[in-house]
Amino acid sequence: MLVSIYRTTKFAAQTFYRNLWLSVITIFILILTLFTVSLVATMNLLADRAISAVEEKIDVDIYFADNTSEENIIAAQMFLEDVPEVKNVRYVSKDEALEKFKDSHADNVDIQNALEELDENPLPASLIVQANELSDYEVIMQQFNNSEFDIFTEEKNFSDQQAVIDKLSAITTRVYQVGVAVSAVFIVISVVMMFNTIRLAIYAHREELAIMKLVGATNAFIRAPFILEGAFYAVLSSAIAMSLLWLVVLFTAPYVNDFFFGYNFNLDVFFYNNFLFIFSIQFLFSLILSVGSSMISIGRYLRV
Amino acid sequence: MIHLKKVNKRYSDNTYAARNMSLHITSGEFVSIVGQSGTGKTTLVKMLIAEERLSSGIIEIGNWDITNIKHSEIPVLRRQVGVVFQDYKLLPKKTVYENIAFALEVCGVKQGNIDMIVPQVLKVVGLEEKHDKFPQQLSGGQKQRVAIGRALVHRPKVLVADEPTGNLDTINAQEIIDLLLKINALGTTVLLVTHNKDIVNRLRKRVIAVDDGVIVSDQKTGKYII
Repeated sequence: MLVSIYRTTKFAAQTFYRNLWLSVITIFILILTLFTVSLVATMNLLADRAISAVEEKIDVDIYFADNTSEENIIAAQMFLEDVPEVKNVRYVSKDEALEKFKDSHADNVDIQNALEELDENPLPASLIVQANELSDYEVIMQQFNNSEFDIFTEEKNFSDQQAVIDKLSAITTRVYQVGVAVSAVFIVISVVMMFNTIRLAIYAHREELAIMKLVGATNAFIRAPFILEGAFYAVLSSAIAMSLLWLVVLFTAPYVNDFFFGYNFNLDVFFYNNFLFIFSIQFLFSLILSVGSSMISIGRYLRV
Repeated sequence: MIHLKKVNKRYSDNTYAARNMSLHITSGEFVSIVGQSGTGKTTLVKMLIAEERLSSGIIEIGNWDITNIKHSEIPVLRRQVGVVFQDYKLLPKKTVYENIAFALEVCGVKQGNIDMIVPQVLKVVGLEEKHDKFPQQLSGGQKQRVAIGRALVHRPKVLVADEPTGNLDTINAQEIIDLLLKINALGTTVLLVTHNKDIVNRLRKRVIAVDDGVIVSDQKTGKYII
């Protein structure tokens, strides 16, 4: 057993060193494959987070008539909170609305003066509704319009928002579709390239394989060094690809984090938190790819 | 030792490499199998090491019926039947010693045994001085000696030499034949597949002539007659 392990390791190392260029090219292609797929996945993640950030900005305001009692508005809030599609409902009273308005126009003297002239608060009380999904707004508003609270409303900005919501929904779907398609294309190209490189490497060993068979080596013994070599390729390439990804994250994180300022997303923290997961996926992917390609390519030489 | 009974080998294009071939070779014999190129001599060698499957008939080697040999048993067979080819089939990046040791390494033999067997084999084939040379540093005859040495490391019961002198000049060819005779004298059954008339006629050993996949003559101390 120990002799077999020693020889398998020895043959794998010999194959690696004696065909150094081919080994280097195989690792290079594997790194390129992993790095490309990781980069496309990162782009997909960023696009997803960017869309989520925009989605968070979307809400629908329901303005109530001045004569609506606070009890009715609170009842309307409770009604909306019971709708499953609703994520959050916030009540903004007339006073709070005025305060906000004053704050946001603090520098504008004309507006401040105009407000002083008025005897009463002209701003209506409102409910700010946020849905779980963009597509939920329509359902929520339909339910509200059919409720007993609709008669208290003065205005809803849903129709203004609807065009934005529809557009954003379409973009979201398209971004996902493009992301998946681009990833699939890159994965297919990389897998084909990798398979051909390994096939070439095995082809370079065809004479050796034939001689091994001729002198009585078992198929398992012939395969073992290639499995070990494949595993070595996988470890090395996923480690290098991970380092490259780390460099990319390191250099782009300040810009990406600036872009997402105020939202709950931090690229480098995300990378460090998921480091083991990403590395495991990369390692498994490259292991399956390199060992699988080796086994398929070697099969034809083991039939004699 | 080797027993063929009504062996047929038919390819998908309906051509025959062996037709109703029957023969018996006893242990310790030196047999030349002669015939022109493409008559089925190499196919016979391939069937003996299970590189080709026969279409019908029976092949036995040392009471072992290898007609329907399992894939997992082929390595065992190949350790018992040593084969030497015209193109040597040496690994160019391994030295003489490594090429011979390789045959033992791939079969899981312990290093201590390898260190004991390989020098003995190098002595038999007369290459002790060349143990650290690479194949490209050797003459054709020396390369063939390495191939014979590699075929001998498992102490096979049968040594099959398929056109071992095909790429060699007369002097080197005779040296290889002398080596095969020496190996035969040590008790190994030798099957020499060749179309070299002079060599066969000088040997004065058993000669089996094959033509178009059919055994056309089998002489105890024969000559090349085709």
